[in-house]
Amino acid sequence: MITEHKPPAVQIDDLTVAYNYKPVLWDIDLVIPEGVLMAIVGPNGAGKSTLIKAILGIIQPLAGSVQIFGKPYKKQVGKVAYVPQKGSVDWDFPTTALDVVMMGTYGSLGWIKRPGQKEKKASLEALDKVGMLAFKNRQISQLSGGQQQRIFLARALVQNASIYLMDEPFQGVDATTEKAIINILKELRKEGKTLIVVHHDLQTVPEYFDWVTFLNVKGIASGPVKDIFNDDNLTKTYGINYKVAVNQ
Amino acid sequence: MTNAQIEIQAIAALVAVACAIPGAFLVLRKMSMISDAISHAILPGIVLGFFITQDLNSPLLILLAALTGVITVILVEYIQKTGLVKEDTAIGLVFPALFSIGVILIAKNANDVHLDIDAVLLGELAFAPFDRLLIGETDMGPKSLWVIGTILLITLTLLFLFFKELKLSTFDKGLATTLGFSPVLLHYGLMTVSSVTVVGAFDAVGAVLVVALIIAPAATAYLLTDNLKKMLIISCGFGVFAAIGGYWMAHFLNASIAGSMTTVLGIIFLLVYLFAPKQGVISGFFQEKQQQVEVSLLIFLLHLQNHAEAEERHVNHLREHINWQKVRSKTVLELATKNNLIQISDDVVSLTDKGQEFTDEALNYITTNKATAIEELKNRFFLFRG
Repeated sequence: MITEHKPPAVQIDDLTVAYNYKPVLWDIDLVIPEGVLMAIVGPNGAGKSTLIKAILGIIQPLAGSVQIFGKPYKKQVGKVAYVPQKGSVDWDFPTTALDVVMMGTYGSLGWIKRPGQKEKKASLEALDKVGMLAFKNRQISQLSGGQQQRIFLARALVQNASIYLMDEPFQGVDATTEKAIINILKELRKEGKTLIVVHHDLQTVPEYFDWVTFLNVKGIASGPVKDIFNDDNLTKTYGINYKVAVNQ
Repeated sequence: MTNAQIEIQAIAALVAVACAIPGAFLVLRKMSMISDAISHAILPGIVLGFFITQDLNSPLLILLAALTGVITVILVEYIQKTGLVKEDTAIGLVFPALFSIGVILIAKNANDVHLDIDAVLLGELAFAPFDRLLIGETDMGPKSLWVIGTILLITLTLLFLFFKELKLSTFDKGLATTLGFSPVLLHYGLMTVSSVTVVGAFDAVGAVLVVALIIAPAATAYLLTDNLKKMLIISCGFGVFAAIGGYWMAHFLNASIAGSMTTVLGIIFLLVYLFAPKQGVISGFFQEKQQQVEVSLLIFLLHLQNHAEAEERHVNHLREHINWQKVRSKTVLELATKNNLIQISDDVVSLTDKGQEFTDEALNYITTNKATAIEELKNRFFLFRG
């Protein structure tokens, strides 16, 4: 009997990425099923951000392939949204919060076409969803770190993608913003979206995520949090005897 | 005004606008110095082009020289990518080498080439009206005007078509990539436009001063606005003002036109730098002063809230207790009284209801790290500031 399987959200085969021929990701095999809220954890320099950038095609791998719903990224551009690290852009750029969110709509517009009323409306809704509507006309350097992170999240929301890749969305935000962001992520998962999040705080992994990937240059383990988030894998990943209170 | 004077000013104004547009993006991309590299490194391209075409305004010469500009950018990026030197060093290595090749080429052929080092460095705007575009017998005006006009028209068309893409890739290269816009293509597009513009402006303002026309208007506008479109418009406005102002300055001082234009740009920048309403040095100074007073006020109000005992709140003891100079104590007391935050009876200060409320809310905002909300709070409570 042949059953047709929908391809996974992301499938990575034998992926190696190097900067100046020094591998930062080595022979990664990873399957991310559709509809999971997944954390990528690993020590500094483990290649977490690099993995996300390789999935997005921002950096070219030395070997291996990445497939998004069974096709290369270039054919699935509209299906993936990216939330980069806050520090990756210059916040002194002369623009407003609303304008940054509108940039998320550029992908569906394509070259030359300008955003119109429809895009503006969608962007305002996204701003509202992250609780930033009151700041829509604020120059972006006048926003706090947490607010900037929410703007980035709104920009990803407006892309209306199937897969969301986020590089440390909780970095430098206060507890309120962290809660607000995780609630939005959980809501997105309920809608069937796939969320892949580089995450640093091991304590909150079981509370926030249902899927986890351990990474340290090589792939250590990947699967449901309740099955594989244990001291054994943590020790393998971080190289020291790691103990985390996992309250399941 | 004679016809020649009008023509010179028109050329200068078009050159200024054509430079200001790519300049805004170069400044925002923190690539200002690449324009310096391009403007020098195109010299061998111009000289070679001149040998071939014998005409400084020939389109072939412009394309050849612009190509040298793009090659410069590629060379700089290549050297930088090796990781052995940083970008500024790479720029410093590439353009003098190319520039000196151009200088040697001119010197070797100085006898039969109408191109000298002075003109290369500072331009010859005053002579521009002599080289005319003739179609049949009809005089169509100076050639330089047509050249820079065409370049400006192309630049404006590209800006209009690709404004969204340029903005996106300048602000966030990563997002531009993931959305399917090629930042590399946009980068080299911008570099090509910059190179062509520099070549077109070269004849008028020379290799050294063209940099000022590219960077100064954008850098000045950046201090005045939070909006990219406005920044572009303001840059162009400053460029035109400097072009015409510079022309008349040169006229009355009997000095170099290009030099005077640059001087005007410098003066505009200095004035804006000092007097810009939000980001200027002087307004910054007053903002800092005001902030000092406001923080002092908050410390003072908090002190009042924390101390019920009368001797801690006596007007004359405040100076000793909070350890302030006489002037500051007086300023703070006055500011608090004027805004009805405190009342003084028998020289003992106490918080009013309004003062109590303000202190509570301000404290709440500070401890929950919502420092941006403080400004709104102050606006709500303060009738008089500073």
